[in-house]
This record gives sequence, C-alpha cells and structure tokens, in this order.
Amino acid sequence: MNQSHLSPDSPGDSTMPALGRGSVFMRVMLSNEFGLTVLIAVTFLFFASFLPGFASKFNLFTMGRQIGIDTMIGLAMMAVIVTGGLDLSVGAIGVGAAMVFGYLSQILGVPLAMAIPCALAFGAALGFINGAAVVRTGVHSFIITLASMSIFFGVMIFLTKAQAFNQLPLVVPEFGKMKLAGIISPLLVISLLVCAGLSLFYRFTTLGRSMLAAGANSKAAKLSGIRTARVIAACHTLTGALAALAGLMLTARTGAAIPSMAGQLGQDWLLPAFLAPVLGGTLLSGGRVSVVGTLLGASFVAVMTKGLLLMRIGEFWILACLGTMLLLAVLTDKTRQSVLRNRGMV
Amino acid sequence: MKIMKSITAAVMLGTLACGAAMAGTNTKVALVPGGPHPYFAAWEQAGKDAMKDFNLGAGDYRVPAKWELALQSSMLESLITEGYNSFLIFPGDAVGTNSVVSEIKDAGGFAIATAGCLKDPTPALFCMGTDTGNSAYLGTKELIRVMGGKGKIAHFTGFLVDPNTQLRIDAVQKAADETNGAVTVVQVIADIDAPEPANEKINAYLAANAAGVDGIVTTAWVPAVVAAQSLTKIGDKRIKMVGIDHDEVVLKAVKDGFVDGTMLQNPYGQGYIGAYVLDKLHSGCTLKEDAPWKSNALTAKFVDSGTVFVDAKQIDTYVDAMRGITKTVLANFEGNYLNCK
Repeated sequence: MNQSHLSPDSPGDSTMPALGRGSVFMRVMLSNEFGLTVLIAVTFLFFASFLPGFASKFNLFTMGRQIGIDTMIGLAMMAVIVTGGLDLSVGAIGVGAAMVFGYLSQILGVPLAMAIPCALAFGAALGFINGAAVVRTGVHSFIITLASMSIFFGVMIFLTKAQAFNQLPLVVPEFGKMKLAGIISPLLVISLLVCAGLSLFYRFTTLGRSMLAAGANSKAAKLSGIRTARVIAACHTLTGALAALAGLMLTARTGAAIPSMAGQLGQDWLLPAFLAPVLGGTLLSGGRVSVVGTLLGASFVAVMTKGLLLMRIGEFWILACLGTMLLLAVLTDKTRQSVLRNRGMV
Repeated sequence: MKIMKSITAAVMLGTLACGAAMAGTNTKVALVPGGPHPYFAAWEQAGKDAMKDFNLGAGDYRVPAKWELALQSSMLESLITEGYNSFLIFPGDAVGTNSVVSEIKDAGGFAIATAGCLKDPTPALFCMGTDTGNSAYLGTKELIRVMGGKGKIAHFTGFLVDPNTQLRIDAVQKAADETNGAVTVVQVIADIDAPEPANEKINAYLAANAAGVDGIVTTAWVPAVVAAQSLTKIGDKRIKMVGIDHDEVVLKAVKDGFVDGTMLQNPYGQGYIGAYVLDKLHSGCTLKEDAPWKSNALTAKFVDSGTVFVDAKQIDTYVDAMRGITKTVLANFEGNYLNCK
C-alpha cells in the first residue's frame, strides 16, 4: 500500500513522501491547505479593501452561513470520494431527509429532538442503499447514484406532491437567522464541529483508517484483512448522514423544508459538493481526504462569490470567473510547490 | 410680520420638499427576478424610469445567473450589503424566498413579491402581478369572439407545480362553459413552459389533431411562442389563436394574421409602480389595512397589475397599451392602498 496516499487530513502527505520527519514548517508550506489559506486571506483583504460593505457584520454573517452549508455538502461528497467513488444523489438525499424532518415536525408534531435524528437516520439509510447497491452489483457508484438520484427525488416529489413544509416550529427558522456574537452563524459552528469530528474519525478510528486504506489500494486493503465491501457501504452511509445534515441546515436557512431547495433532482448541490473537497486536496482517486481543506475550499468559493457579486462584474460572468480563479488557484499551488522543490527547499 | 410669516412658511415648505427629496434619494430599489427570462426584460427600463421620475437613489435590475433559489438568495444578501433597502422580487421559490425577505425586513427594508407571489405567512408587504385567472378568462373570451362563438379549443399552458396553472385551466373552462356548449375545450396540454416539451407536445398535437381544432388559447410564455411558430409554419389561418405576453415571435404572428391577438401582462408597470410604492413607504406612507386586496392561491394581499388584449390593429403601439395600464393602476394606487400624511 502506498502510504503517501493514505492520508487523513495531513498537510502535504500526499505530495511529499520524502519530507518525513524534517521540517514541519516546510510540510505546512507545501500543503494544499496552506495555499488555500493564503488565497482566502489575499482575496478577503482585496475585497475588504475595495468593496464597501464586504467586511460588514451582515456580509460576514451570511458568508459564514454559506460556508457552513457548503462545507457540509462538500464533506458529504468527500466521505465517499475517499474510496474513489462518488455520490450524485447527495442533493436528493439531503432534500429527502429535510422533507422527512418537515413531515415529522410539522404534520406529526414530533419533537425536534426526535425529528432531527430520524431525518439523519433516513439520510444514512438512503446512503446505505447506495453503498449496498454499489457493493452488490459491482457497478461504479457514478451509475448507481445517477439512478438513485432520480429514484429518491421522484419518490419524494410523489409523496409530498411537491408541497413545502413551511409551518415548522419557530425555533427552526430562528436558528437559521441566529447570530452568535452578532456575527457568527450557528450553522458554521455545526460544520466546524463536524469537521473536527471527521478529522478525529479518519485519524484515530479503525473504520476511518480502513476507509482511507480501501480508497488508496483496495486489493492491498483486502489482503491486510479489511472488509472493503463493508467499508464502502459505510462510506456511502456516512455520506447519506452528512447530506441529511446539510439538508437540515438548509431547512433552517430557508425556514422551511422545500422540495426544490436543491434544484431539480438535487443537482444544484453537485458543484459545491465536488468543488470544496477537490479544491481542498481530497484525491478523486481516493485514499486521501482533507477535512480542513474541504472547509477551506468552501470558504474560498464563498469569499469569491460574495466578492464578485459585490463587484457587480455581471451575474452571468460570476460562475465563469469563479471557475477561472479556481483553476488559477490550483496552478498557483502547483507552481509554488515546484519553485520550492527547484530551490532545494524540499 | 406678514413677511416673517411668509418666510417661515417658505422655509417650512422648503424643508418638507427637501425631506421628500431626501427620502426619494435614500430609496435604493433593486428589481430581482428568479432568473433569466424574457418576461422580466421590461423591469430594467421600469427601474430606470422610476429612478428618474421619483428621484430614487437607485433603480437597478439584477438578474441571477440561473433559476436557482440559492443564487437568488445570495444575490439579495449582497444587495442588502450594498445598501439597497427596497426590493421587487420574483420569488425563486414561493416558500423559500420568505427567509431572505425576512432578513430584508430585519435590516429595515421593504420587499414586494412581484409578478409571482410568496406564500402566506410572508414578510413581503404584498404581491403585485397579473391576475392570471382573469387574464386567461378574458383571453378565451376574445378567442371565442374571433371564432364566431362556436368551435373546439385547445389550451396550452405552464407548469403544473405553478399554482397559477390550475387557475388558468379553470378560467378557460369557465369562459367555454358560458357558451352553453357552443364552445368546448377539447384538449389541455400543461407542464410545457420550456422549449423542449413545448415543441414536442404542441407540434405532435397539431400534427395529429389540427383538423379537429378551431381555436388555441395559450396561457404561458413558451407555449405561446411555440404555438405561434407552428401556426405560422402551417400557414393556415383557419385555426384562431390568442396568445400571451409580448415575445417578438408572437407579436409578428399577430401582425401577420396567424395569431389573432395576445394578452399582454404588465411587467413594466409592475416594476414602475412597485418602485413608486416602495419610495412612498420610505417617505412615511403606510399600507392601508382595509385596502381592497384581492387574494389568490398563495396570498391574501394581492394587487392586480393589469392585463390587456392586443390585436393586429394595436400591435405597433403595444408599448403604449402597457403604459396605459400602468397609468391607470398608478393613478388609483395611493388612494386605494396607501395612507400618506
């Protein structure tokens, strides 16, 4: 097994097998996370300097809230990318779980303390179905989740008749609008806590390490006694639970459980779902995750989007500009690592 | 003494006038549709005209890059950050947009759901748009008139998830029922307010059933365009048609005689009147509790922005027709809906 690709959130591990025990400073310098942090800082300072209102309390609050939700969506995808798979149904699962939550709390009057775990369990169950189907059939998760995306979403629309639940307990919309210390959204806090939990999970638990191992080299993992089929199913289950949590966070944000809140078939989530983890350094081939990188990736996207909106460069150019900036970010990161290597600093 | 009184009065009047002017200057209006759609193009000019006529701080038309609730919400948040305090919003979602509207309200701003309504309970002041049922009813009556009071009608309309669609279907049926069986609605094709399904279903229907239809009424933008194109291609003016809205294709078909008329909605007026009302509210006016609000499937506070039938004779002056509706609605708005000291 290639240990350099078996990395839970460790800056630089995937790119610097030679560094070993040497300079922690250099390891940090060459990490994706460091590059992203610098980029976020530079872009934030740029926008804050030239755009009145960018650093206002309201903008920081809404930006933090957006980071919280996008990070959770990114983490949901990251949890399955770790094995080299993907899940196109994250949006459908998230919305489905949100609608279950809405039905339980609004129609049946189930207390939030029960409705929330039930919705999370529902998301996890849908994720497990995906995982079981992938393992049983041997078909790539792209195909399985492409199908399940339509199935989950279609059944949800059929059962709800496309009607929203907009009479949720008042605490739900209030939570979405809540400002801690006048500026911090509790949705961001939830994401930070989940990030911390996932970092510990991948670093210190057997299941977490098994997921990384199965993603890095499935055959080697099997030979070393890891039951990769179960691990893959577990990854999809985790993805489902995290997608459900993202759905609940979005429900708090919009104050209602809405069938269209992730777009048709939940496709509106796909861009943030892939952007955050991949930008953050998670390998699409599996074996390496970067929880902090996913958080930073979502943060960079949020900062850029808000800044570009305030710059009024033209709404239709924002997505194109964002894509260009992301490409530049990746190239800059590669160049930085190359320069450091050429100077013998590695 | 008299002179002093005159000076004092002049100063007071001046102060009031300045106050009013200042209030206007502080009103920054943003007109935000749910996404790109030709229907909303008139909002841009409406915002500019309102800015000039009412001395607004801004009257800007801002379009989200695509129809996505999150994108529209993000744009509205940015506009709040930029200091906009007055919003005319076509809701990206009848329920989901309430959240960001409540944030506008928390920030001291006002928002009017425009061209489409938010579902009650809503923090939006009210909803201003086309009374879709009435528009469909009047359009069908015009169609029945040009059909000579008898025949078979096909009705092409919008998305089924849009609550207005059922109202339109009912209204067309109501107009047909009033003929005591002389006119029948033989086909309703819904869920086709997008080019692909509209082309596929309308063309297939006409290919198979054109001979059995005497009239077509369309109550959504894209079906109107596609049906007008189809009738023009067929080249047979036997089938009468009344469309909706002011797409160039529909207007040309009306001019060429393949379509008998179109029911104009009033997007310009929605933008212009909405900006006027928002400025009035920032100047200290309040909404009357006992105003003659209409109600629809989503809200109990609905204002009809007007609709008018335009045929080939008026097609070159349809902009005047739209401005005429606007003038009528605007002239009565303050008296009917506002308390202004």
